This record gives sequence, C-alpha cells and structure tokens, in this order.
Amino acid sequence: MIALSIPLIQQILLESDPFWLWQFLGRLHPMIVHFPISLLLVAAVLEIISIKQFSSRWRSTIELMLWTGAISAVASAGMGYLLMVQDGYEGAGVDLHQKLGIATAVLSLVALGLHTLEQRQPIRSRIIAYRSTLILSAIALVFTGHYGAMLTHGPDYLTEVLPGASAPPANTAADLNIDLAIYEQDTSAISEQAKLKLLTGVRTVFAHTCYRCHSSDKIKGGLRLDDRKLVFKGGENGPVITAGDPENSELIRRISLPKGHDDVMPNKGDLLTPAQIKMISIWVQNGAWWPENAEDLKIFRNAPLAPRYPEWPADTSRFDNKIDVWVDQYFSSKNLSWDEPVDDRTYLRRIYLDIVGLNPSSEEIHQFVEDPHPEKRQKWARELLDQEESYALHWLTFWNDILRNDYTGTGYITKGRYGITEWLFKSLVDNKPYQDMARELLSPDESSKGFIAGIQWRGVVNASQRTEMQAAQNVAQVMLGLNLKCASCHDSFISDWKLKDAYGFANIFSEVTMEINRCDKPTGEMAETRLLWKELGTIDSTASRENRLEEMATKLTDTNNGRLYRTMVNRIWAQLMGRGIVEPVDEMDQLPWSQDLLDWLAVNFVGNGFDLKNLIYTIVTSRAYQLPAIPVDNNLALREEGYTFRGPVLRKITAEQFSDMVSSNFGSLFTSKEMKFNPENRDTNFIRASQVANNAFLTALGRPNREVVVTNRNDQPNLIQALELTNGTRLTQALAQGAEQWKNTYNEPEDLIDHTYMNLLGRLPLSDEKDVALQALGPSPDTNIIQDYFWVMVLHPEVQFIK
Amino acid sequence: MPNSHNRRSFLKQLSAASIATMAAGAPIPGLLSSCSSELSSRIPATADSVIWLFMAGGMAHTETFDPKRYTPFTKGMEGNDVLSTFPSIPTALDGVHFSKGLESMAGIMDRGALIRSYVAADLGHILHTRHQFHFHTCYEPPQAFNVPHIGSWISHELGPVNEVIPAFINIGQRFDVGEGEELKAYHTAGFLGDEYGPFLIPDPTKGLDSVRPPVGMSEKRFEKRHELYNQLVSESPMGEYGSDYQKESMKASMEQAYRLLKSPEAAAFNINKEHRESYDIYNTGKFGLGCLMAKRLVEEGARFVSVTSEYVPFMGWDTHENGHTRAKDMKKQIDGPISQLIKDLDKSGRLDRTLIILASEFSRDMMVEGRPDQKVKEQVNQPDILEEMKHYGMHRHFTDGCSILMFGGGIKKGHVHGRTADERPCKTIEKPIYARDIHQTIYHALGIPPDTHYMIEQRPFYTTPEEEGKAEKDLFA
Repeated sequence: MIALSIPLIQQILLESDPFWLWQFLGRLHPMIVHFPISLLLVAAVLEIISIKQFSSRWRSTIELMLWTGAISAVASAGMGYLLMVQDGYEGAGVDLHQKLGIATAVLSLVALGLHTLEQRQPIRSRIIAYRSTLILSAIALVFTGHYGAMLTHGPDYLTEVLPGASAPPANTAADLNIDLAIYEQDTSAISEQAKLKLLTGVRTVFAHTCYRCHSSDKIKGGLRLDDRKLVFKGGENGPVITAGDPENSELIRRISLPKGHDDVMPNKGDLLTPAQIKMISIWVQNGAWWPENAEDLKIFRNAPLAPRYPEWPADTSRFDNKIDVWVDQYFSSKNLSWDEPVDDRTYLRRIYLDIVGLNPSSEEIHQFVEDPHPEKRQKWARELLDQEESYALHWLTFWNDILRNDYTGTGYITKGRYGITEWLFKSLVDNKPYQDMARELLSPDESSKGFIAGIQWRGVVNASQRTEMQAAQNVAQVMLGLNLKCASCHDSFISDWKLKDAYGFANIFSEVTMEINRCDKPTGEMAETRLLWKELGTIDSTASRENRLEEMATKLTDTNNGRLYRTMVNRIWAQLMGRGIVEPVDEMDQLPWSQDLLDWLAVNFVGNGFDLKNLIYTIVTSRAYQLPAIPVDNNLALREEGYTFRGPVLRKITAEQFSDMVSSNFGSLFTSKEMKFNPENRDTNFIRASQVANNAFLTALGRPNREVVVTNRNDQPNLIQALELTNGTRLTQALAQGAEQWKNTYNEPEDLIDHTYMNLLGRLPLSDEKDVALQALGPSPDTNIIQDYFWVMVLHPEVQFIK
Repeated sequence: MPNSHNRRSFLKQLSAASIATMAAGAPIPGLLSSCSSELSSRIPATADSVIWLFMAGGMAHTETFDPKRYTPFTKGMEGNDVLSTFPSIPTALDGVHFSKGLESMAGIMDRGALIRSYVAADLGHILHTRHQFHFHTCYEPPQAFNVPHIGSWISHELGPVNEVIPAFINIGQRFDVGEGEELKAYHTAGFLGDEYGPFLIPDPTKGLDSVRPPVGMSEKRFEKRHELYNQLVSESPMGEYGSDYQKESMKASMEQAYRLLKSPEAAAFNINKEHRESYDIYNTGKFGLGCLMAKRLVEEGARFVSVTSEYVPFMGWDTHENGHTRAKDMKKQIDGPISQLIKDLDKSGRLDRTLIILASEFSRDMMVEGRPDQKVKEQVNQPDILEEMKHYGMHRHFTDGCSILMFGGGIKKGHVHGRTADERPCKTIEKPIYARDIHQTIYHALGIPPDTHYMIEQRPFYTTPEEEGKAEKDLFA
C-alpha cells in the first residue's frame, strides 16, 4: 500500500494544485472502500449465522466490524465525493454509485446505532430492525461496489463474459497485425525485428489517434507523441511512461480509463480498443523499446511509386478483355464466380449514360437488340466514343468537378480565377493524351492556367490557402491521389507528409520563395523547392517560375511516375463502376482490392499512349463492367475496408444526366440565354446541363458549387431536392412543353406509354404497369395528365438509377 | 404541435426509412464520417429554435444600439467631430440608450441582452461577403473544404423540430445580385451534405410558392399525380433495379416533400394568412415580412430561421454615402417588425425556447476605415470637412466595436455586456466578444457541446476553429 502511494505523492508534489490534499484523499477512495466491503458484509453474514441467538460468541466481533465498517463507509463516501469533484467524474453511473454509497454509509450508521442501543437493552423488535438495517446496508454495499466497478472497468465489465453478450470491438490484435503472445515471454528472447514491429504498432496507434492533439502542431498538456525524446520527456505533469512499469505509467492509466472520465485519453472520439491498450501496455512492460534510428520507419502505408507490370497467370486465353483476367483471379481468390452479363437493353442504357450521358432512344434500343454483329457491344461502345461532342459534353462534368472549373463562382468578379472550359472541351473532343493534358495543366498557357491559378479571394488569406498552396494541394489530390491539406498547415497526422514537403512542392508554383508558415504563423524558415518524391528527380530552384513549372510537369508526368497514371485509371474506373479499385479515390496509398488490376490498367493506359477513350472502351467492354449492378444498402459501407468487388455498383444518375434526359425527351430545362458555353458549329438539339452555369435546380440535384475539388458526389436524395422536383418551375415547364409535343406525336395512349418506358427505362412496361398508366391517362388524355404522367416517370426510382 | 424536442425524441419519431436516409447522409466515408460529440447529454438546452436576424452590409453601432455624442449636420462641419448623426433616446433599461428611430425596440430592451463589444474578424481587407462568410461559418474564406453555415450545423446536430418543416430556412437573400457567388459560398451545408442545406426563400411575399403545388396545378390534380407516382413505383419490378434502401430513400424524400406541401403547417409560409393588423405592423418591406414569416415558422416548429435585410452591394446597411438618411430608413424597416416579433413570441410563450439574435458582419464609422490602427487602401472618399448632406453618415467599415442583440432562449433579460469607447475610435474597451464566442453561445443555448466536430479526411473539423470559441455564460439567465 505504501509502495502504491509513493507515485501518487510524487505526483502531488509535482503539481502545485492548491487542492492537492483533497485530490489525494479522493484518490484513496478506491483503497478505503475495501474496508466496508469486507467488514460490513462479514458482519451481516455472521449475523445471519447467529440469527438464533443474539448474544452469541460472535457478538463482540460483529460489534468491532460494525464500528470499523460504518466509519470506513462514511470515510469512503466522503473520499468518493472528493474524487468525483476533484477529478471531475460525471454521468448517470457516477450518480447511482454516489447515491448508493451514501445510502450504505447512512444505513451502516443506523445499524451501528441500533446495535449499540441493543446491547444496553435488548428488545426483540429492535433486534429485527437492527438486523434488517444491517442486511440492507450490505445489499446497498454490493450494488455500490458493482456500479463502482463499472466506472473503473467499464459498463460491460460483468456482462461481457456472459454467454450471448455482444462481442468486443472487432478491432483486435488481428488487424494490428501483431501476435502479442510472443511478447509475453522472456523479453530477452524477443528478436530485434519483433521489437521493431511492436514499436511500429504502438507508433501507428499514436499517429492515428493521438497526434491530432499531441504532435508538432498541437501540443496539449505539453505532451508530444511524435518524437522519441519528447515521448519520454512527458508532458506538463512529468513523464507519462515508466519503462517496464505500465501500472505506474500515466499514459497507460489514461488510455485505460472508462469513457466519460475527465482524464481519459483520447478524450474525443472512440477509445482505444482493448487490443491496442494491451499492445501499448506490453510495449511499456517490455521496457518501452524505442531506438534512435527508428525515426525513419514509415508509420503510414505508402504505395510504391513505380509502375508495375503484374505477372500474367498461366492461362489468359479465356478472356479477350484483359481486365477480366485479373478480375477472374480476384474472384477465384474470393471463391466467387462470374454472374451472367446484363441483357442488351440494360447494357445499351449503361454505355449511353456512361459515354455520352444520354438515354438511348427506343429506336436505338431496337436497332441494337436486332444487330446481328457478333461483337455488337464492342462496336456500339466504339461508335458512342466516336461521337466526339456528345462524349465531350458529358465528360466535361467529370473534369469540371475534379478541376473545380465552372462558369461562375467566387473570384471571377475580381479576376481571382480563370476558367479552362474551352481548353478542356477541346482536349476531350480531340481525345488529347492524358499525359499532355496533365502537362498542360501543370505548365499551362493562358487557356489552361485556371487549375493551378486557383481561387484568390480579395484580402489576406490563411497561409495554407495561398494560391500556390492551393495549387500544391489540388495537384496532389487530383493528379497524385494524395492529401496534402493537413501537411500544408503543419506536419500531417494522417500521413508521413511534413509541412516542409508541402511547402517544398508549393514553392514550385510560387513567383517568390515562400516562407514556411505553421498554422498560419511564420516560422522564419524559407521553403525548399522540390517534388514530393525524391525518385522523381529535382527541380532547379534558381530557374524562373515558368521553367520550374515546365520541369515539374515533365517529371510528374514521366512514365516512371506510376502514381499519376494509377490515380487517373482509378478515377475513371470509379466513374464507370461506382467504386474505385482504391477508395477513397483521393488517397492512393490505401490498399486496392486488386493490386494487379490497378497496376495493369495503369501500365496499359500508358502503353496505349495515355488514351482516355481507349481506357473507357477497355473498361466498358470488359465482362466485369457487364455484370449486373450491385445495389448498396449504405453508401458508407461501400467505401469501407473489406469491400468485395462483385460487379458495378448501382448508381444514381447525376444532375446532368437527369437534366439532359428531361431536356432531350420533353422540353428544354434551360434557355439559350443561360447557355454559358457553346462550342462552334454545334448542332444544338437541346441545351445540355454542362453548358449552363450552376443554378438552383442543378444545385438541388447535386451539382456541386466548385469552390473546392469534388471527386465524389453525394447522391443521397433529400427534401430540398424533392421539393425542387415536386414544384419547381423548371421541371414543370419542361414537362408541360413535352406533353404538348407528345400529344401531337402519339395518338394512342398505349403508344405514348410504350415510348416513355422505352426512352426512359430502355424496356417496355409490364402489363400491370401499363394498366395503371392506361387507367390514369384514359382513352384521350389531355396535356395535363400527360405532363403528370411524365413527371411520375422521370422521378421513377428505376429511371433514377443506372441498372 | 410539440414545442420541445431533442435529438433523441426526434430520432424516435422518424421512421426506419428516414433514419436510414439520415445515417447515409454523409457523402464520403474515409474522407468523411460523422463524429458528433460524445458528451451531448451534458448541456441542457435552453432553446429549441433560433431566429437569426442579419443586418447585411454593416450596421453602424453608433447609429443604432450604442449611440455616442450627437452632432447635427451643419455645412462646413468637421467630420472628425461626428460620432453619431442621431440623438439618443432612453430605453426600458435605466441608463441604456438607443439611437433615435428605434423607439419600439428601446421599449423591449428589458426582455433581452445587448452586447456592445463584438469585435469582427481582421481579415486584412474589408469585403462584405468575406466577413459575412466568416460570421456565418466561423471560418475565414477560402477553405480547403466547403464549410457549413451555422444553420446547417444546427440542422445536422438537432434535425427539425417539426419533421415536415425544413430545419434550416433562409429568408430574404437573392443570389443573382452583385457578389452573388460569394453569397452562395456560405449559404451551404458544405461537407455535412445537401440535406442540411438552407431552404431558400429569397422573397417572403412569394414564400408560399415554395411549398405549394406547382403554379396552375389544382390541389386535386396534385394529389392524383402523387397517387399515380406511388402506384407506378409499387408496380415496377424494382427489386431488380435497386435495393430497398435506395428505392426507399428516394421515395421517402418525395413523400416528405409531398407531406410538407399538403400539411397544414405549410400555411406558416403564407404570410397573407396573418391578421391584417399584425401584418401591417410587420409590413415595412421585405425584411419586416421576413420577420413575420420567421415568427409563423417558429410557431409551427422550424429549427433555424435566418432573416436578412439582404446584402446587395451599396444597398441596405451598406451605406457608402447618404449614411444618415439611409440609416434612418433602415431603422424604420427593422424597428417595428423586430420588436413585434419579440412581443408576439413572448405572448405566445415561444420566446422562452426561441433564441433571437440580431447581428451584422461589422460596424461603420465616419472616419476610421478597418481597424483603428490598420487602414485599408481602397477606402470611401469621405471628405474631412462636410459640405453636403450626402457625406453626413457612417460610410467607412469599422470592425473593432459592433452591437449584437439577443432575446429569449435562456438569455438574460435587461442585460448589457461590454462597452465601447465614447470617443473615436469607438472601439470595444470592455469584454470583447468574437464570432466564435457568439457561435458557441448559440450552440450552448441549444445544448450542442462546444467540441462538436465532424471527421473530414480523417481529421476533426469543429463548429468553431480548433473549438476555441467560448460560450458567454454571462449572457444566460
């Protein structure tokens, strides 16, 4: 007990807290509580044993126990109260524990009082009262103890071992990838390599859960966990780790506390898992081994930079499309088999929406279904890709989102922003090789400078949002699948990237050498000029900005930078399949579900001259793409780890696809006055959504304002969107216009119904569907009912999804 | 109509489908996952709803709620002598004065708190929309993420009070005006997801159009159309085309819209239903009618209603000349409706659970531009000697001392917080309070813990930067 108090006293002496004594006494609470627990309980048991004879030989023992028990019950209640106040415990559990503790103290005092009276003058009724009070206090004590244990050991302490209790969190030693058992043996027998592994595990936990408050940028409590020396130096209150002694390590105490305790760490977000706590404790137990050279160890996963040609399996002849070779290999490793490809109608609607953004007409569906060509799917996909302008107007949206290019937005009024639409459209029409596109964005002329020029708001902006830093962040995110946002303000705690790296890269885009700012405060240190990866070579810091940009563009787009091409093929894959091979698509250091497929797509893309259309063609003609769409129960699950590829994801159509469907089939949603971009000689059948500036209608449907890069749209239906669709004037008027036209085109209601289904869904109505529609339309429908029927059809969930 | 809701009871009332919709509302996991505070139960809410009255364009404190020495206009006067261009009037609070023209509001000052020490952000350059962005989101533009409006945070944390009424309604701002794009940049739910975005009513007189069947469509036809939708959707072999989840969330949102349009609560958007007498008091223009709509909406269970005097460059409170005359006009617009709004809510008992806040992005002064010690280059051409009436007024931007009013929702009654200097520069000299503190004070009243944050790209994004703001406990009763 004395040994136990020493560190406590030490701690008290270290702190100059005026209430140290109260706090100290409070902390004795757990020790003192064991007196009443044992004594009052034993007294009650003895009382029951001697129930027949009040003046038994146990009487004096009981009396002694009662006295000691009652006094210590009162003392524990008092100390418990101090502990609660001083160390700031709160919550329903504390409340209950407190009330029961006080009840125990009061009941034991009453029992003691009655007992004292009893010894003077025994009365039967008083004996009964005394005994019941004592037993009640013992019961109260048991419950107090139970709730107290819940506070220190967690609410599931008792129940978690019962059969049928829910399993502990899944994040166990397994996904730490460490077998903790080997560390619990004789420490001298542990290999250096194993020690390093344990250390890496510990540092990974620090990095992922502690750095946000305890690293270079934010140093709460004076403690840093990102640097070996500082870890052992500890925080404001002294060391947090006592090597070899987890019991006396403040860090272990803190991470082991229950949720809601004032001292618990992390005090935000989830607690560490039991396995993580165990791992860190074992690490401390084994001497908290952390040699100096361990700093170079990478804590976060870093994907290799170089391109890689995966090794072909023995037999690839089963598949014409090489994507399927890798998918097949993946399927066999997962014990999955190939589903039948989708039917012609579904396939045609898919490639129309994916390549040109439009629905096929009923005539086109008919022609396709009847086409006898043995490779008609390939043939039609190729033909669609050859529709240069339709293709460009559809894919413009994808590129506008990721390059945050728009016709309006902040910065335009003050010349703080430049559009690149003309350049982009032309690049798409010409199917410019991606390497050239990337190079022209990085080392731009007037027409393509908008991307790295960024957005300049008038006034002084945070250092991490200077246009040079915006350029660094956006190039990293969009082209390299790398998040530099954290590192552009301070050393990142979500990756190994440092502030210096971000500034070194941003400096390439800068006219003058940048001064490094940490969290918007100048550090006095000037930035270097360099690429993010040494392997890609150096940048001449003395060269002019123009030459630096050119050098950077050449080096970043070099074919030895596999990352640039993996990032792009993954984006296109995600666009067509609803989910990337790597997710999130902006974090290319994450594990792909098939490394071989990703690597092959990238080298194949490079080998084919960076041909984007060819890449799209390869994907849409693969058997993998032709698999039935997989519905998702939850957008979140889709991007979690452990995703299994089974086929493309069922996708909701975009704001642009929906608008174009309405405009092409019924009436134009947009006026020619709203058209912001109309390439020369375009045969304007209708105004496509990508040609107009963002407006309330498109916003409600999910077109983002392009203030920041958007690489993944939210396709969740919501009330504001539903209201716009239900009573917005745009849709109402376009459908009314369509109703007029269709009424004149189709005399028979049945004709009208069939064509609507074919044009919008790519199929004919089922007989039940037809009956409902016929009944609604009646034998000679007027324009109102036709318009309402169209409304129903365009908002039909089946129309809203790409099957 | 339930008048007191919390997140828990709100969640209980939702159908399984809409919970699923909400749960999946966060756009991109990995990049983004919801992470509200664990400590939600710790703060008891003193308010359920918020009415945010925004004086867009920079309302001079010396001409409104913090008057200084009055100097009437005379030809050839020195601008430096002028602190206020209106005489002071007494208020219901002893020793506290307002500027002339705010008589009605002066009469109810014993029902709320007056903050005279708001210090606007120093953004290095005065640009209304940048300061507005900051005041509405607590973050300085630009940001690497789309950051949410305070109304979106509240909508995200608490949901609607009455399920059929959108949680966040924004009244009175058009976006096809100058700096419209900058205005759009902060009228957004940002990374929280579109469902928490503002329901926009640019013109309160046309508010009903947003919540009734399309123009020209009869009620009966509207019902039939909805019926046909449900029929055809249920006839379709949807199982093959989408999971129940996807179909249901689509259907659920359409159903929600239909229910709002059909609900009796939709009448709250119809200010013409108000008694003539009451309507006339509010009818001082678009802003006044916005207040009327806010009152009606809160009474039916809106969570966060913003009413703005509307920002249009050089209009409204953005006085670059004729400041005196224009301020007189603006005061006429706000005095009656705001005081009536407070009286009406007080009368109906709603004021106790509704926090009303009136604020502006910054204040104005006749001579000082920007911070007292930091001049801004492109300042208004304001002569030192005033020869014309058009130069008599507060034409320059001033960020170092501004007034904010708060009423209801647990706020002290008849309280004054902070003080500004009585001589130029009339800057805050006691108890400065910043945008982050104002935000935290509102969150505190609603029971939203100060450390509320969202995990975005694996790092926490707080309601106020680095969770540094502090709720001003002094303001609470």
